[in-house]
Amino acid sequence: MAGRETNPNFMNGVPELLILRLLHEGEMYGYEIVQAIRNRSDAVIAVGEGVVYPVLHGLEEDGALTSRRRTVNGRSRIYYSVTPAGSLRLADLALDWNKLTTAIQTMLTGGQCAEAIR
Amino acid sequence: MLKPFDELREKLLRGGVAPRHVRRYLGELGDHLADLRVEEEGAGKSRAEAEAAALLRLGGMDELAQAMIARRQLQAWSVRTPWAVFGVAPLLLLAGAWCVALAILWTGWNIFLPGADTPFGTRLGAHQMFDLANLYFQLDRFIYFAAPILVGWGIGLIAARQRFKAVWPTAGLVLIALIGGTARVHASRTGVPGGFGHISMDFTLGSTMPLIPYGLIHVAVILLLTVLPYLVWRLYKGRELSA
Repeated sequence: MAGRETNPNFMNGVPELLILRLLHEGEMYGYEIVQAIRNRSDAVIAVGEGVVYPVLHGLEEDGALTSRRRTVNGRSRIYYSVTPAGSLRLADLALDWNKLTTAIQTMLTGGQCAEAIR
Repeated sequence: MLKPFDELREKLLRGGVAPRHVRRYLGELGDHLADLRVEEEGAGKSRAEAEAAALLRLGGMDELAQAMIARRQLQAWSVRTPWAVFGVAPLLLLAGAWCVALAILWTGWNIFLPGADTPFGTRLGAHQMFDLANLYFQLDRFIYFAAPILVGWGIGLIAARQRFKAVWPTAGLVLIALIGGTARVHASRTGVPGGFGHISMDFTLGSTMPLIPYGLIHVAVILLLTVLPYLVWRLYKGRELSA
């Protein structure tokens, strides 16, 4: 099975942030999460769709997510939702991401960033 | 539907991902693949085209495997700490089973043979074969002798499920066979008349030279009984993969 072109290096840490942000709004299952990421990013963010599950499993093992099995339209789905620890992690990741993008933006426009990437 | 994931399952297990995560991952991928196929068919593609497009969107096998393998928190304990799973845990299990066996022996001795100097060597008549006392002591013997074999099978099962290479499971099986084959139980009364029975264990191949071959045979029998199912499974799996 040939894979399509993705941007895995750039995506390090980003799937966690996006997934936590989406699930902060309500519980979803894997396919829904991937669709939501694609729709909201205008398909700019490209990952192999199956790669979302290791991220979900990892976040659940870390206590950031919880899951439950639900049967919808005769099909069993595993729905994920954010725990209080996951909300804290989301806040931390969002803060780091904002710092990072600000620093990169400042560098791209030729300025200097006091809070360099640490 | 899960046929495309057979190769992925083997990669994940060999990569150290815990079997429970592998099972769930493959289930979720199967559901996701079905959703993608429906979506592609809804876009006007034939079933075969939709299937191919769905697999492409799901991701390459290496990408799917690496995404799981790279996450240490999804790895099995047997991969993270093989010394604990194949060394310490079997020893603790064996010790626990033997504690139960010795407790049964001690209580049986005091309840059913209160006057005897030892619980060993008491001959029962044919009419006593199904006595509670006999069944009690036979249960004790079963736990004592079966414990190393059951623990060894447990090691083989964990190794087989995780597609482990032979080194750690073999080390665990040899350790269990050595401990199981060299263990000896002693029982005696204290010097005081009517005193409590005293039960102890030691580990030796034989107290005298002529007994050493019997100890070695006991070790070999345990090793053979525990290794055999694991070896058969490895041969079966090897043939299955080569086919």
